[in-house]
Amino acid sequence: MTFQGCPGSKTFDFRGEATAEESPGEKIKSQLKQWPVQLHLVSPTAPYYQGADVLLAADCVAYALGDFHQQYLKGKAVAIACPKLDEGQEVYLEKIKAMCEEAKINTLTVLIMQVPCCMGLLKLAQEAVRQSSRKVPLKYAVVSLQGEILEEEWA
Amino acid sequence: MQSFLNQSIKAVIRDYPEVGQILDEFEIGCAPCSVGDCLLKDIVEIHNLSPEDERLLMARIAGVISPGEKIELPAVERKKPAGPKELKYSPPVKKLVEEHKLIKRCLALIPRLLEYLDLQSEADRELVLGAVDFIRNYADRFHHAKEEDILFKYFDENLDILKVMHQEHETGRAHVRAVLAGVEERDSGVVREHLDAYRELLKEHIKKEDEILYPWMDRSFSTSQVGELYSRFGEVDRQFGEAPQKYGAFIQGLEERFCGGRIAG
Repeated sequence: MTFQGCPGSKTFDFRGEATAEESPGEKIKSQLKQWPVQLHLVSPTAPYYQGADVLLAADCVAYALGDFHQQYLKGKAVAIACPKLDEGQEVYLEKIKAMCEEAKINTLTVLIMQVPCCMGLLKLAQEAVRQSSRKVPLKYAVVSLQGEILEEEWA
Repeated sequence: MQSFLNQSIKAVIRDYPEVGQILDEFEIGCAPCSVGDCLLKDIVEIHNLSPEDERLLMARIAGVISPGEKIELPAVERKKPAGPKELKYSPPVKKLVEEHKLIKRCLALIPRLLEYLDLQSEADRELVLGAVDFIRNYADRFHHAKEEDILFKYFDENLDILKVMHQEHETGRAHVRAVLAGVEERDSGVVREHLDAYRELLKEHIKKEDEILYPWMDRSFSTSQVGELYSRFGEVDRQFGEAPQKYGAFIQGLEERFCGGRIAG
């Protein structure tokens, strides 16, 4: 039977797939340098956003992307959000605009999952940068359900 | 073979002319380059061929340099893996490519401008001086200054490819000085020669930058460096205020006058 619901809710089971071996005893350091991280909770003018390279990640990304901390979070200030489930997304737009205009961020990298609804976060970020009086370079990357980078481009 | 990778391409082509033809087939146009100091290994890296094409190219070059010998093909180091061939630039580099489009529109007008040039006419002298003003202030002070004072500084200034770019900027400036001297002397021959030489030089120069240099540079930049470049280019844009729009209108005016509309870019 064909699945007919939302692609973002479709069930997949990857248990049979090979997983990368971890080096025994090696503890991976967190690259998170701030709190909070949820976009409703952060202040766009918090000191860690001033002039920063900002990572705006969809909630699910950090679970799917095995090397999230080293590959994307390292050296960046972060905010997370879900374009499918979060309410009050007009507030998100204003906060991203404030990051561009007031915090004068250096770049904005948007990390989303491959499911179609996740594209909403990129669209929101693009709209915020478009409306901002101060433009910043915006990059995006799309992560597959099994943590591969499918696409990475400057928008 | 390893030693050939560290030789200048001009020397390799001089000793083995067939290598120039092979590079041509892979759209690496080193044979007609006026300088040719770049090392063979840098050329292979900078052109970002797919691994398959790179293996094929190296095998064919090896076949010319050491025919019949079984040799181990050296891998050329890459900053980042080869991506798709479609050119996608980072936002600051895209700004430079957009500026190139206006410069190319100016270059496309030069043959029309030279066609009926009469330096005894004040109007024609004004026209050439207007084109020189565009070249000096838009192409050179505004655009080339971004490259020389900002972009190129992110790389080792001793890199051969950057030396070539600097040298071509200088050659362009010399042509412009000669054009001005020609106008002063009312010497149409000199103006024609140097304006046309400038057009040829810049056409090839821009092609190299758009298709080879800029994509290679983009592959080398970190996300943070891209943001910094964008911001520094923005400062230059602010310093020049409305001047770029003024020069855009100037080129559009010439296109309407000579060609009844836009002809390039």
